Amino acid sequence: MSTQILFPKIGFAMEEGTLAEWHVHDGAEVVAGQPLYVLESEKSAQDIESPASGTVRISVAAGTQCKVGDVLGEIV
Amino acid sequence: MNQARSLPDAPVLLEIYRRATLIKQNDDRFRAVIQSGKLVMPYYSPRGQEIIPAATSVHLSDDDYICTIYRGVHDMLAKGVTPRALWAELAGRVTGSCKGKGGPMHITDPARGVMVTTGIVGSSMPIANGLALAAQLRGEKRVTIAYFGDGASNIGAFHEALNLASLWKLPVVFICQNNRFAEHTRYESGTSIGRIADRAAAYSMPGEHVDGNDPDAMWSAAGQAIARARAGDGPTLIEAMTFRFHGHIFGDADGYMSKEEKASAIARDPVVLLRRRLIERGMATDAALAELERGIELEIDAALQFALDSPYPDLAELRRDVYATEIQP
Amino acid sequence: MTTGTAATSTLLSAVNQALDDALAANPDVVVFGEDVADSEEGGVLGATKGLSSRHGSHRVRSTPISEQAIIGAAIGASLVGIRPVAEIMLMNFTTVAMDMIVNHAAKLRFMSGGKTHVPITIRMMTGAGLGTGGQHADFLEAWFVHTAGLKVVIPSNPSDAYGLLLSCIDDEDPCLFIENMPLYWTPGPAPVRGQRIPIGKARIARPGKDVTLISYSRQVFDALAVADKLSKEGIEAEVIDLRTISPLDDATLLESVARTRRAVVIHEATRQCGVGAEIASRIHENLHRELRAPVQRLGSAFCPVPFSKPLETAFVPGAQQIEAAVRRTLS
Repeated sequence: MSTQILFPKIGFAMEEGTLAEWHVHDGAEVVAGQPLYVLESEKSAQDIESPASGTVRISVAAGTQCKVGDVLGEIV
Repeated sequence: MNQARSLPDAPVLLEIYRRATLIKQNDDRFRAVIQSGKLVMPYYSPRGQEIIPAATSVHLSDDDYICTIYRGVHDMLAKGVTPRALWAELAGRVTGSCKGKGGPMHITDPARGVMVTTGIVGSSMPIANGLALAAQLRGEKRVTIAYFGDGASNIGAFHEALNLASLWKLPVVFICQNNRFAEHTRYESGTSIGRIADRAAAYSMPGEHVDGNDPDAMWSAAGQAIARARAGDGPTLIEAMTFRFHGHIFGDADGYMSKEEKASAIARDPVVLLRRRLIERGMATDAALAELERGIELEIDAALQFALDSPYPDLAELRRDVYATEIQP
Repeated sequence: MTTGTAATSTLLSAVNQALDDALAANPDVVVFGEDVADSEEGGVLGATKGLSSRHGSHRVRSTPISEQAIIGAAIGASLVGIRPVAEIMLMNFTTVAMDMIVNHAAKLRFMSGGKTHVPITIRMMTGAGLGTGGQHADFLEAWFVHTAGLKVVIPSNPSDAYGLLLSCIDDEDPCLFIENMPLYWTPGPAPVRGQRIPIGKARIARPGKDVTLISYSRQVFDALAVADKLSKEGIEAEVIDLRTISPLDDATLLESVARTRRAVVIHEATRQCGVGAEIASRIHENLHRELRAPVQRLGSAFCPVPFSKPLETAFVPGAQQIEAAVRRTLS
């Protein structure tokens, strides 16, 4: 079973932001709670943790502007 | 503040009496004229509370500001609003302080520092803060007085305003005229604390509980608070104890207070007591005070006549002063 | 309305720029409200970021969460010549300062017979779409438009926001300045530094001849999208961005509808007794014989702003409803 990595809403009025940097490369093994990528919004930049344990499949490149709810990849 | 803690000297006490008498005699006449049917308005008599603004305002100049409330003709007269402007406004005439558009609850006279008179209980305090903020921003030595009643200390605005004034060290003095009734409700039935002055502690400011009907005590407390504000040391809350002789609104049946309580307060009429004190201390003669009182009566006669002889505002005033630019018909 | 180079900005940065320029130009301008100073991050969404650092924390002050005290202080200071810009954060929070706004700011000029007046600007943000639910996103502008003595300004784009905010600060009357949160980061025409936009003057956002779409704030963009779609069928809709809703620009409205003879009014506030009702009434009173169809009014559903995303999306009038309303005027 795979888990989608979804771009989250963090804060009061955030609608979009930037996936600034992946902390892991495509195909890496991660555990749930491990820092996965950096989200930059108007207000701040912060680490977002992996929602699950498994192998990361990245579908959106670092530096991409994303909307809340966008699929960034999955953990398989 | 040794000066402020001392007693008022003869000229100051005489001036307090002049202002208190001006208030008393104007109020006596307002009620008489209302009863005669010549003026029609809701009237909130300040009779019995004269000493508070009289003893406070002798520390102030026209450059200092006051914000007061619907029971406020005493505060206005003490601060220098002329009987002519006041009577004409109460008569709804265009020669009134506000062209007859404000009425008894909204007297405004910036030349005398009377900046806002509000009909909303509790609303004098937040606005007084703003006047004090302006003085602070500009480095001026002006002081702002916010007058209000005991009922207003239970409104959120009181607490918001005292907190902000203390936080920003604003040059403002909050003077609560505790006449022991919030409209018809007894003090104890509406207020959870024995002394409103004690609420000052919650906002880290001095709280003074004084007999507002005693000119020595009131003059001293107001003087100290005003000096403190002027020196940039921040706000003070003064709770001045007093009693209103004519109920909430003139015409009240006063069914919510005991007859004895009222009679006992009137028996200790603060204006009569001050007159006696002046004579006992040898500061004035009965004849000199009688002369002063006659002069005020003549001034009131003239003010009343001026008001009644003045025209009502033009109906176009409905479109003026709503915005800076007159509304087009 | 852009000319020459297509410089873009956002509503959020235009508001910040206007405040910065006003503070720099006039020492009597002060800004205060909850969290506005840089020590509190320059506003919850950053609208006042940098201002206290540049102009001093005595002129750009964070306040306690005390809306009555905030507006009261603004009123008092304005009576003697200070030009306060007070921020109430969210429009819903004006409800706890209504006494100060409605009983005092709006009325002191009249009640004093013109002896005093209240030149304050009250900024606030609002708008559905961010999942903030029932108490953080209302459009309550009709209450203030209903109150004599207040002016109400509600820009849709950065250029208008900048120019109108400067005009509000200059104005001798109390002005409410309503910022639409979901529009904060939408790119739009950059302001021209120092250029004021007059209060009370609507903007024709798109000329047309067949129907007039009258709107303000975020719904202007929906109206423009519908106008573009209808244009492909040969229907040319004129879109008016009111920008100021008190005083209303009757001249622009009535001139347009006299030409198109059809009108649709769209706003995010609920329809019942909304600004659209006033506009529809003015059009009917003045152009009854010219109209080809009754004026159509669109507003949000008559319920509190809902949280759940599908409900929140359906709550606000969108392009589909606007298009349907236009077609009703054409049938």
